[in-house]
Amino acid sequence: MITKAFKDLAILNAAKRGMPHERICFTPHPVWGKTPEELRVYVDGPDPVSGKPLMKEVTDALTVPLSDDEKKSGTVNVSVGPPTFTDTADNLQEFYLNNGYTDFLPIILPTQEKVEAMLKGTSHKPDEVVGKMAAGAYPAWSYTVRQVAASAVMAGCRPEYFPIVLAIASSGVASLFSSTNSFAFAMIINGPIRDKLEFNYGIGALGPFAQANATIGRAWTLLSKNLGNGGIPGDTYLGSLGNNLNYNNVVIAENEEASPWPPFHVQRGFKKEENVVSLFRGLGVVPGQVARGSSANENVQFDYQLSDLFSTFTGFFGALIIADPLVAVRLKEQGYDTKEKLIAWLYKNTTQTVKDYKSRNYSYLFEYPQALQGREPFATWYKLPDDAVIPHFPRPESFNIVVTGGQTNAYPQAGNLSYGVSISIDKWM
Amino acid sequence: MLSLLGLSPALLAGATAEAQQKKISSKPAKASAAEPRIEGLNPKGTPPPIQLIPMAPRLGSLDGKTVYLVDTGFEGGGFLLNQIQLWFNRNMPSVTVVFKRKAGPYAEDDPALWKEIKEKGHAAIMAIGH
Repeated sequence: MITKAFKDLAILNAAKRGMPHERICFTPHPVWGKTPEELRVYVDGPDPVSGKPLMKEVTDALTVPLSDDEKKSGTVNVSVGPPTFTDTADNLQEFYLNNGYTDFLPIILPTQEKVEAMLKGTSHKPDEVVGKMAAGAYPAWSYTVRQVAASAVMAGCRPEYFPIVLAIASSGVASLFSSTNSFAFAMIINGPIRDKLEFNYGIGALGPFAQANATIGRAWTLLSKNLGNGGIPGDTYLGSLGNNLNYNNVVIAENEEASPWPPFHVQRGFKKEENVVSLFRGLGVVPGQVARGSSANENVQFDYQLSDLFSTFTGFFGALIIADPLVAVRLKEQGYDTKEKLIAWLYKNTTQTVKDYKSRNYSYLFEYPQALQGREPFATWYKLPDDAVIPHFPRPESFNIVVTGGQTNAYPQAGNLSYGVSISIDKWM
Repeated sequence: MLSLLGLSPALLAGATAEAQQKKISSKPAKASAAEPRIEGLNPKGTPPPIQLIPMAPRLGSLDGKTVYLVDTGFEGGGFLLNQIQLWFNRNMPSVTVVFKRKAGPYAEDDPALWKEIKEKGHAAIMAIGH
């Protein structure tokens, strides 16, 4: 049983998992927040899809003998169409748009010539399998270097960017996720490749001011749509509001030279001279100017400011500090000579009451079930009295720090984003 | 509805999407006939084949049977199942209804529960909230 809002998702998911005739019954939407009396009306009423009495549908689903179709076994091969399409340039633009291959912005058409040029950006063979990617709970799709190249061309990438796009594709992490929560995704680029490809990590580092930042981020979304079949509203994408960051994701080239701390990839065990892309997933990014004590005077305390920001986040996802170098240097002057010291302080001082914690939707959905299984710290947290004070995030590892920006003002931004994985770019050159 | 990208009734029957896509691709050109035609790559990845799973035989009747109600943990699903349990009590009292919340967050498997249902139950209704 599922609510009517997820009719397409339920039918398609069952079909893709080999049960195209799965007996699914529907209730009105939503069931969340309804009183017992309201839910009884649902149960005693009709299935809003079929119009038949809901419980008659339910009992019939369990008792009516199977049809021949429902007894079928075997293998069904799924085609995504021919390997190429031929038409005029204008018609192909329209064709790619109408078939869901784009982000609804004009693309560079992935002609044979453009794709061949992109393939020269890597030493890997065009038919090498790069990885698998799943759109949410669906079975994963696989893809080759050539298939990745098509999306890289469409996004406007230069061939020299291709190893980064391949590294992202090899992770299997899609930047369009099926959840109703409208997730956002981010990447951190480290290493000498930042300068070689002219990434912007100065003024306007997070804005549309460099081709590498713009197109590599866009490529992640296009390959998520095309290689993982993500981003189909109602089918592989259910985000209620959507997320504007999905157009090209949050691309952060670290300003390693201006940072007082080791770069992000070195913290993750890579050498400084290695080129690495690190991926994050979560809900989005907020500005630091809204926090308490954010006036740019000599007494500004960025540690309290960041803690203030993070206290509004869900602890289910992580806390990513995106610090302008001016912020990072000031924090070091305040005594945080390592990232670890700042993280330890933030973990200890960003707190909540148990009552507030239990009231959060994510706690109920994801952490209460773990508490029931005895997993810490949730098992302990759920046993404490409502007025007990607990950390806002489950562990210090929830926090990460990256430094970027042009030092025109001392402002941080903060992502409610969890670290996922770091991938060597060099392996894809 | 199944004709959304990646799957269609025709595909489930073993056909391909080529005909459908050629139809779209061969729409009359807006530009003049002299405009050159070019070839673009299909950017889609490769979906896995679908292994059809025959559905479990049905019971014929629920009289005297045990039906498990499984709450996956999504919001409101458990409360809905509580009302379904009450409906069975009122309308089909010979049915033994067992309510279970699947262990762990909703995306985690719970093989112990599936084993229990196979051993002790005749049928199961899974409700997904929201």
